[in-house]
Amino acid sequence: MINRWTASMRTAVCVAALVCVGAAPALAQSKGYTAPRTPDGHADLQGIWEIQKSPDKDLDGSKLIVDPSNHKIPYKSEALGQKKDNAKNSVANDPLNKCYMPGVPRINLLSYPFQIFQTPDYVAIAYEYIHNYRTVYMKRDKHLPDIDFWQGDSIGHWDGDTLVVDVGDFNDQTWLDKAGDYHSDQMHVVERYTRTGPDTLQYEATIEDPKVFASPWKIRAELKRDTKPNARLLEYECQYLADEAAKKQGK
Amino acid sequence: MRRRSLSWIAGVVAVGTVLWLAPSSLFGQEPPAQPGGPGGREGRGGERGGRAGFGGRRGRAPLPPAGPVKRMADGKPDMQGYWNATNNGGAVFEVQKHPRRLQSLPAGEGAIVDPPDGLIPYTPEYAAKAKENFEKHLADEPELHCYESGLPNQMYRQFGFQILQPPGYVVMNWEFMHAYRIIPTDNRPHTVPASTKLFMGDSVGHWEGDTLVVDTTNLNDRTWLDSAGNAHSDQMHVIERITPTDERTIKYEATIEDPKAYTKPWKVAFEFSRNMQPGYETMEFACIEGNQDVHHYTPDEGGSAKEEKKK
Repeated sequence: MINRWTASMRTAVCVAALVCVGAAPALAQSKGYTAPRTPDGHADLQGIWEIQKSPDKDLDGSKLIVDPSNHKIPYKSEALGQKKDNAKNSVANDPLNKCYMPGVPRINLLSYPFQIFQTPDYVAIAYEYIHNYRTVYMKRDKHLPDIDFWQGDSIGHWDGDTLVVDVGDFNDQTWLDKAGDYHSDQMHVVERYTRTGPDTLQYEATIEDPKVFASPWKIRAELKRDTKPNARLLEYECQYLADEAAKKQGK
Repeated sequence: MRRRSLSWIAGVVAVGTVLWLAPSSLFGQEPPAQPGGPGGREGRGGERGGRAGFGGRRGRAPLPPAGPVKRMADGKPDMQGYWNATNNGGAVFEVQKHPRRLQSLPAGEGAIVDPPDGLIPYTPEYAAKAKENFEKHLADEPELHCYESGLPNQMYRQFGFQILQPPGYVVMNWEFMHAYRIIPTDNRPHTVPASTKLFMGDSVGHWEGDTLVVDTTNLNDRTWLDSAGNAHSDQMHVIERITPTDERTIKYEATIEDPKAYTKPWKVAFEFSRNMQPGYETMEFACIEGNQDVHHYTPDEGGSAKEEKKK
């Protein structure tokens, strides 16, 4: 649904009414910037985006966790044992080291760019990392029954100029980072993509998992656009690189 | 019980398990509601229907005549939707005209329209390379190792693809290997350095009337042209002409040149048919994740294929 109350219009009304000074308009997260429009009237988030400082080494304790305020992932006490086990053999057991799909939100937080494309019924996100892509279904409002995915099932809608992506149907096979932070197949992620300037995209993700986390927690990261002329994604082909390395070692 | 996602047992990709069913003239219409495709894949039954696999139509009423090509707001063809390759003479097994080759590769006309004999005009070096690839294809086919298929191979890979047309691009997303192509349509030049080689190459495109012309360079030499092992070098250059002819049909042509591998350019031509199944969605393809038995792949066909070879 197109929300025609842009940030600038709201601000103008507030200033005119002299009653909104100090009140945060609902679109404050766009910091007064109004993104250009796609042909169907939504905020244009398209382009090649990448996090500048990946938290992938260890998300737990990263300042990217904005809730809770201590930046720690709020594990249930009974779930901490698995995290410790994962950390003990993290290099061997990190699914990324087997060239498996990274899951969400991890794939958005790696040091590899991704490109957002928007059409009325689908938002496609193409990743340089292992040529993965996610399709965000803008016209479906329920997750698929009786199935699970490494990258989850993404359904989207617009909240003003913010693209909200609800990700469910996860399997329990991915990690959240290299350090062994993990989730169960009950994980549910709600992402919010908001363009905050010509070359900046705010990415937020609220993560909940009743089996592993005592409460939902939230990350917020700023992604930067690749502004080179004719910028394009390249390829990071994990399996091919692993096979070539094995050949060199005579395996 | 929750069904697993499509963890693809890569051994199943070995096309020996594929049944190439109905004549491709039937393929382009509404796919039958049958589960599965090649062995090992989970289909979706019930109200969501079956998968568009290799099967043709079975006892269904014909579709109404196709309407005209759909249009974007700027008048360019709107090719958005889900498509399956058809009428390509079993190109996924072998792109050139071919007899049955052992158990796993059935006979077919292939997809080559030039030269007229339907055969790849190899240099001697690359004819030898193709022969070597064929002899080891059961173990060495790149798709068994979950690599993307390059061009034109990706275009006739199974399970179809989705076309999206966001502003300035044509995007193609395949279920197979979750491969994708991002084709800018602004006639930009190639800017990837010649030394950078990519599985899917560097594609630049522009519209000529209703034809999307795509020029692809920077392909690596780690892909094959088909499952039989037909080969190319990293000097390959592919020019595609993609033309929708009605709302359900796209004509595809690709001219392939490669001064190291071929004595002259050659050309494939086939079609894509629109997947008419309501509510259809691409599924996740977890190739590496499901690839549990790579270390047991051998080139040996074993069993009755050995007996057949002895004859």
